[in-house]
Amino acid sequence: MNESSMLSKYLTYPGVWDEMFDLQGIRPGYQKLVSFIESLSKEEMSHKVELAKKIFMSQGVTFTVYSSGEGIEKIFPFDIIPRLIEASEWHLIESGIKQRLKALNVFLNDIYHDQYIIKDGIIPLKLIYSCPGFIREMMNLKVPHDIYTHISGIDLIRDPYGEFYVLEDNLRTPSGVSYMLENRSITYRIFPDLLPKIRVKSVKDYPDVLLRNLISLANRQTSDPTVVLLTPGIYNSAYFEHTTLARLMGIELVESNDLIVDNHHVYMKTVHGLKPVDVIYRRVDDEYLDPLVFRRDSMLGVAGLYGAYRLGNVAIVNALGNGVADDKAIYSYVPEMIKYYLNETPILKNVPTYPMEQIEHRQHVFEHMRSMVIKKTNESGGYGMLIGNSATDQQLIDFKAAIEADPRSFIAQPIINLSSVPCYIDERLQARRVDLRPYALYGPDGIDIIPGGLTRVALKEGSLVVNSSQGGGSKDTWVLDE
Amino acid sequence: MLSRVADSIFWVARYMERTNGMLRLLRTSYISSQDEIKDFSWRPILNHYGDEEIRFNNEHDESINIIHHLLLDKENDSSVLNNITRARENARAVQDHITKEVWQSLNDFYHLIRSENTSRLIHHEDIQGALDALISQGWLYYGVVDTTMARGNGFSFLSLGKFMERALLSTDSLSIKLEEIKLYTDHSLEIPALRYLLYSLSGYELFLKTNKGNFKSDLVFQQIILNANFPHSIIYCLTRISRYIHRLRPESTPEAFEQLDYLSGKLINNVKYSSIDIQKGPELEKLLEDTRNGLFEITHALNKFYFGHF
Repeated sequence: MNESSMLSKYLTYPGVWDEMFDLQGIRPGYQKLVSFIESLSKEEMSHKVELAKKIFMSQGVTFTVYSSGEGIEKIFPFDIIPRLIEASEWHLIESGIKQRLKALNVFLNDIYHDQYIIKDGIIPLKLIYSCPGFIREMMNLKVPHDIYTHISGIDLIRDPYGEFYVLEDNLRTPSGVSYMLENRSITYRIFPDLLPKIRVKSVKDYPDVLLRNLISLANRQTSDPTVVLLTPGIYNSAYFEHTTLARLMGIELVESNDLIVDNHHVYMKTVHGLKPVDVIYRRVDDEYLDPLVFRRDSMLGVAGLYGAYRLGNVAIVNALGNGVADDKAIYSYVPEMIKYYLNETPILKNVPTYPMEQIEHRQHVFEHMRSMVIKKTNESGGYGMLIGNSATDQQLIDFKAAIEADPRSFIAQPIINLSSVPCYIDERLQARRVDLRPYALYGPDGIDIIPGGLTRVALKEGSLVVNSSQGGGSKDTWVLDE
Repeated sequence: MLSRVADSIFWVARYMERTNGMLRLLRTSYISSQDEIKDFSWRPILNHYGDEEIRFNNEHDESINIIHHLLLDKENDSSVLNNITRARENARAVQDHITKEVWQSLNDFYHLIRSENTSRLIHHEDIQGALDALISQGWLYYGVVDTTMARGNGFSFLSLGKFMERALLSTDSLSIKLEEIKLYTDHSLEIPALRYLLYSLSGYELFLKTNKGNFKSDLVFQQIILNANFPHSIIYCLTRISRYIHRLRPESTPEAFEQLDYLSGKLINNVKYSSIDIQKGPELEKLLEDTRNGLFEITHALNKFYFGHF
């Protein structure tokens, strides 16, 4: 390594797995990337950062923050140095996620039909029925091909030994996949020729695979079913993603007012009158989907949609009621589900999780609060979360009180030191913590996991929170071919 | 195509055409404000595009403030900035129906007009340069639409929006000029305001070639109303509107097509077979008024049959 180079000043955190460096130096997979970066001057690197910003801005890859009546365009912060995953690591991730999704999907089918897992005493009935994501209206509703989790984003983290853990299963409407696609379209511009040189797998199949799966769900006897993407509208923070996906798949992007239900069939209003709709990829939450059945005040749903769904006249993706499977309290039972349904040993580990409902766990957690992460079971996006080692005393007291008032709504996990990767910040390489969200598509022909994903970065120094709402950014994720 | 999408696309085109028209009007007005001090007034433009609440002390040496008001003022509902913002908001909601290139050119336009650089040029350096840059960005939009959009429904609604707005703009600017001309008694004389009108519609060179330097007001009105080769003439826009109504026919209900075909055909004939004699002021005024109403009827029918506003 060149003494004057940027890398010589790079500091890793002690006791943290660094994706680029081990004790001997640069990990083998990263070597070509490193030598490329080494060849660049500080000015060139800064130009690349500027170029990336400009591309994001001009493509409108922005989210809008509305304050004082005026929309302000913000870019989802992007770090130009890609994160690499070697073929062997990816193989493990891929098989682990497939196994997990298979089990979770069987679990959903079981919970909404025979409930063997409750009858056999694996998961307590009370835990299921107290879960806000459990939707009774889904009981005995037959979904096409028995698939519930068509699209999922499984959050993975790495401990100080490099071992992968599943942190969360996002089975409702996971977002961020457009950033996986956009980030790639930017890195090949700022690192010309580098992707083919180090044999990075392509992510561009995602929309094709998704569209193929969506079309296969149509029930009507037609060679050309209508698939639509239902968005809450332009003020939704993920609106950019909705338009990108609709465009890449060539399907209609609809808002709730564009749809109407007549005699348990769904139609969209076109310039030529009403046109039947067969499949809805919805980016609207369960509770807002149908004001006649769920939240009455919803302006984002379509009256009568649930009835059409129940009769099988329209397919909805993802299925309703998936929240019961990615609830943080149910999470701790996933390894047992894998054993129960598949008779296999889990490939990916679960982070040890203490449901606060059990008094002995509660005692243990209260004694070790400083080394725990405490989460609300029904919240995401980094909200409703306490990280013990960085919380104030008052926050600890508040959380303790909240847990005692409603223990079912909380779980605790030991703090895992997320792995770090180099980021180009303030004109030098600095270590920042990351997680990884690969996207899995479950269709009638099986599960496809697109080689790549969203690497989220905690851009604040030392921070462990990667959520974009809490100062997180993203990186392109390069999965290497064998 | 969804009704909502058709509606939004139509409005993208209308706001962009309005933006283009306003920018060119501002450019020629600004130049004439510096050049033809004697006959120049910002008043007609301010009446049309300004906020009535805001008064300027002196309309002659306040060009910078007036341009700012018409171009960049968020409080002025008709400012160019607000038009572009609305065009972009509409485009944002139909991103999957316009090409990525069209969306990016609109997005770039939005970032350009909001940039520090534009504001600095307007306030401290070179107003005309700022306007030129914005006008070029507008032309870029037209070129991108033309070269990237498939000739389907989306393109038809874009074109309808564009020619509806352009026909209205030409009609309105003639009405404004007609008001001004009343001040002149001798119609054989050249009226500078008409020359600037031709400049801002890119019709000056065509006028010179057609009329060999004979600068009479009647001839200017002739060109802007009836010259079928002039892309800003009312008759040109109306023919185009009719053409895109026919293009939409396979996608329309029979009732919708019949109604629109009837309205556009009637309007074309009315314009075509009217005499344009500036001496008979009231007749010309009535023609412009009828044209405006005919255009509103077409918009109303589009709203009813295609955009789902009943």
